Amino acid sequence: MSSDHTDAGDDAHNAFITEATIEGDDDGPLAGRTIAIKDNMSTDGVRTTCGSAMLDEYVPPYNATVVDRVLEAGATMVGKANMDEFAMGGTTETSAFGATENPAAPDRVPGGSSGGSAAAVAAGAADLALGSDTGGSVRNPASFCGVVGIKPTYGLVSRYGIVAYANSLEQVGPLANTVEDAALLLDVISGPDPNDATTNDGGADSGYAAAADGDVEGLTVGVITDLIEGADDDVVETFQASLDDLEAQGAEITEVSLDSLEHAVQAYYVIAMSEASSNLARFDGVRYGPDTDAEGNWNEQFAAVREAGFGPEVKRRILLGTYALSAGYHDKYYKKAQDARAWVKQDFDDAFEDVDVLASPTMPVVPPKLGESLDDPLQLYLMDANTVPVNLANLPAISVPAGDVDGLPVGCQLIGPKFSEETIIRAASAVED
Amino acid sequence: MTAQAVQTDEHAVVIGLEVHVQLETATKIFCGCSTAADDDEEPNSRTCPVCLGLPGALPVLNEGAVEAAVKIGKALSADIPERTTFHRKNYYYPDLPKNFQLTQYDAPICQEGELEISVEGDRREIGITRAHLEEDPGSLQHKGGSIDTAEATLINYNRAGTPLVEIVTEPDFRSPAETRAFLAKLEEVLEYLGVFDATRDGSLRVDANISLVDADEVDEEGAIDDSVLEDANRTEVKNISSHKAAEKALAYEVSRQKNAVKRGRALKTETRHWDESRGITVSMRSKESEADYRYFREADLPPLEVADWKDKIDIPELPDARRERFVADYGLDSEAASKLTSTKEVADFFEAVAEQFDPNVAATWVADNLLGELNYRDMLITDIEGRLDEFSRLIELVENDELTVKNAEEVVLRSMLDDGDDPETIIDREGLGKADDDAIADFVVEAIDENPDAVDDYHSGEDGALNFLVGQVMQKSGGSADPGSVNQLLREELDA
Repeated sequence: MSSDHTDAGDDAHNAFITEATIEGDDDGPLAGRTIAIKDNMSTDGVRTTCGSAMLDEYVPPYNATVVDRVLEAGATMVGKANMDEFAMGGTTETSAFGATENPAAPDRVPGGSSGGSAAAVAAGAADLALGSDTGGSVRNPASFCGVVGIKPTYGLVSRYGIVAYANSLEQVGPLANTVEDAALLLDVISGPDPNDATTNDGGADSGYAAAADGDVEGLTVGVITDLIEGADDDVVETFQASLDDLEAQGAEITEVSLDSLEHAVQAYYVIAMSEASSNLARFDGVRYGPDTDAEGNWNEQFAAVREAGFGPEVKRRILLGTYALSAGYHDKYYKKAQDARAWVKQDFDDAFEDVDVLASPTMPVVPPKLGESLDDPLQLYLMDANTVPVNLANLPAISVPAGDVDGLPVGCQLIGPKFSEETIIRAASAVED
Repeated sequence: MTAQAVQTDEHAVVIGLEVHVQLETATKIFCGCSTAADDDEEPNSRTCPVCLGLPGALPVLNEGAVEAAVKIGKALSADIPERTTFHRKNYYYPDLPKNFQLTQYDAPICQEGELEISVEGDRREIGITRAHLEEDPGSLQHKGGSIDTAEATLINYNRAGTPLVEIVTEPDFRSPAETRAFLAKLEEVLEYLGVFDATRDGSLRVDANISLVDADEVDEEGAIDDSVLEDANRTEVKNISSHKAAEKALAYEVSRQKNAVKRGRALKTETRHWDESRGITVSMRSKESEADYRYFREADLPPLEVADWKDKIDIPELPDARRERFVADYGLDSEAASKLTSTKEVADFFEAVAEQFDPNVAATWVADNLLGELNYRDMLITDIEGRLDEFSRLIELVENDELTVKNAEEVVLRSMLDDGDDPETIIDREGLGKADDDAIADFVVEAIDENPDAVDDYHSGEDGALNFLVGQVMQKSGGSADPGSVNQLLREELDA
């Protein structure tokens, strides 16, 4: 393996923060394939910024487990993909290294937070990409860029070496141009890791790429009506057409309503921000962060580094998360959010008694224009309504292109019970056909 | 006596302890780094992404630490729950790699235990509220000054991730002496369990909470109502590192507080630092409000089912039980039994010797001779563990009358410890084999011939005369004769 930093390169969409090559092994299932790695995944000897000025100069001394696995499978890393700062955002515009443009929709955002990963695949700068999905960060950009993205069951893929944003929610997920390629990448990265105690063998004996056979005969698909209601009409129409297509191939389509979902966005943000406030505490200037001229005691110097090193969205989330965990508010916010999370899980479990997979548009809207949504965080948070329930419930989901609205990509999200990746991959491959 | 002084004496002391114990595991609590600190190791050499808290690194629980905690729980008769979980304690401090500490909160591995102590013959049960696992932070080194004046502070993460058990007691102590007895007992138990090394620097760290309450509030059993304790101003004393220091620090604190009350000053709720070298406590900060640690569950560590660990993990016989057994089974007096159970290694050594000899002989040799000589040399029983056979042979030589007790104790044993030689080598070198009977008979005749005055004294009934003659014979034999048989031979010769 060799590491080769290059500054030049034809990165017209700003999909990469650092263009660097790490050659993988000679053979393996990914031999000859190029891969973009989201810049929150540790790469030994190649800087890993998380899209933040705080980690501008941070070079990890070790590889994330998923990085080792793709390299051992023969893939060649071509660069560290752009992302929202610390994965906090849905447009890749909060990156300290500039926004990424959507290759499938000029002047529009690629989605996020794994926007660089999706854009690299959509633009052909990489055959495959790894993203991370905390509240939709793989599925959202996959949908906006017209590619395939998978959020695996919590515990299927190792998080060792992934810079944590909200560790109870996130999973590493593959992005690719086809369902089969994304599934192949999942075959490579999934499976227990002794360095991540939350991984398990729930996916043992699976063959994800082989499952992309388009056979949906007899499959029951429940459309989550609660997630249709908030979506744009054009988006719903395109989504509906892909369901009709599934029905024509032998699937049975029904409607399902999950009452808990109206609380999912609130619960998600309380939990994610609370965890983030703790996960990002280590960035205090002792070992990471920009130099400041700050005088004073430790706390004052920590504050100065964090003031200079974090962008506004990161600060907002750390402050709100700290608040939600504080004495006197913990029960009102954090505990309540955990109760809502349990309710969401229960609702999904109940729904899967009756259907094999659940479906919704991945995103309720088409990709916004660059700069359009940045000033309204609440609007951005609501854009996550369809993706966050999956993370709260630790379930697997896939976003597959369903068509377009005036040339702007629309994704169809398929959700399955825990460790049913084969089933949602099979269904997605039928949507794709 | 003034009215105020009377009032001072009417205060009772209430103390509770939080004891941090470093566990003796091979590796750190959440990674594979060694816990063994070399004296000359480089700073930050014993680290990895996990204990450095590098972005992306994840903790994996060391089951050895859990096992040690379960042993402690069993020794303290504590409840061990079905499942135990970890929480994050969030606070900013430069020695904390992640700016949160992984610890346990609402599901600690041990709850509601007890430990019996004895102070001046009074037995008391000290309640254990809980004991939980957590990670040790790194350590800070202030260059060119104290924490306030240093030019720079350096951080060494070698200690970071060392497994700790924090044992929290009920406020059951009524005197500093009781805390000392408790901590000494606790150390003894932990060493018996093999989970603790008292010789390791910083392996025991104690915080003590101390309050004065109106003596009338204490009932006959020593119990105090919770509401009284809540109302009392509480001082937390930090930086106590041994059972002896605990007694000193708290005795200082009791007299400081009583003096303050005597002078009509109100006691503040505050944190004080025990300054071992000056023998005083110093105020660090007043606690106007409790720190808010924003505890929440650590999702990176799945809950651990520990219910069946309790049955699977055995603990050795504990010191109290072993002491009682030594009295009952070997017929030892309680002083000898205490000495012989002072550490598990001493007790094991004694029992190995007692298997071969009369237990009282074994007890005398181990408790009086061996421990005394070891102690004099600052040695531990563990320093001679591999030499049990040599020690047994030494006793056997004496028991078989081939070596005098005096030579065995004063020459052979000492040389064994000082020079590391085996008993036979020493006996040959020093010519200590017991003299044969013919030689001794000759010495007896010689002694009588050379000391006619003493012989006359003997015949006129002076007691000292015989002892004098025994001494002469012993001298001639170079100590190799047995004084009892010399005495006998002299009498026979003189009375013939």
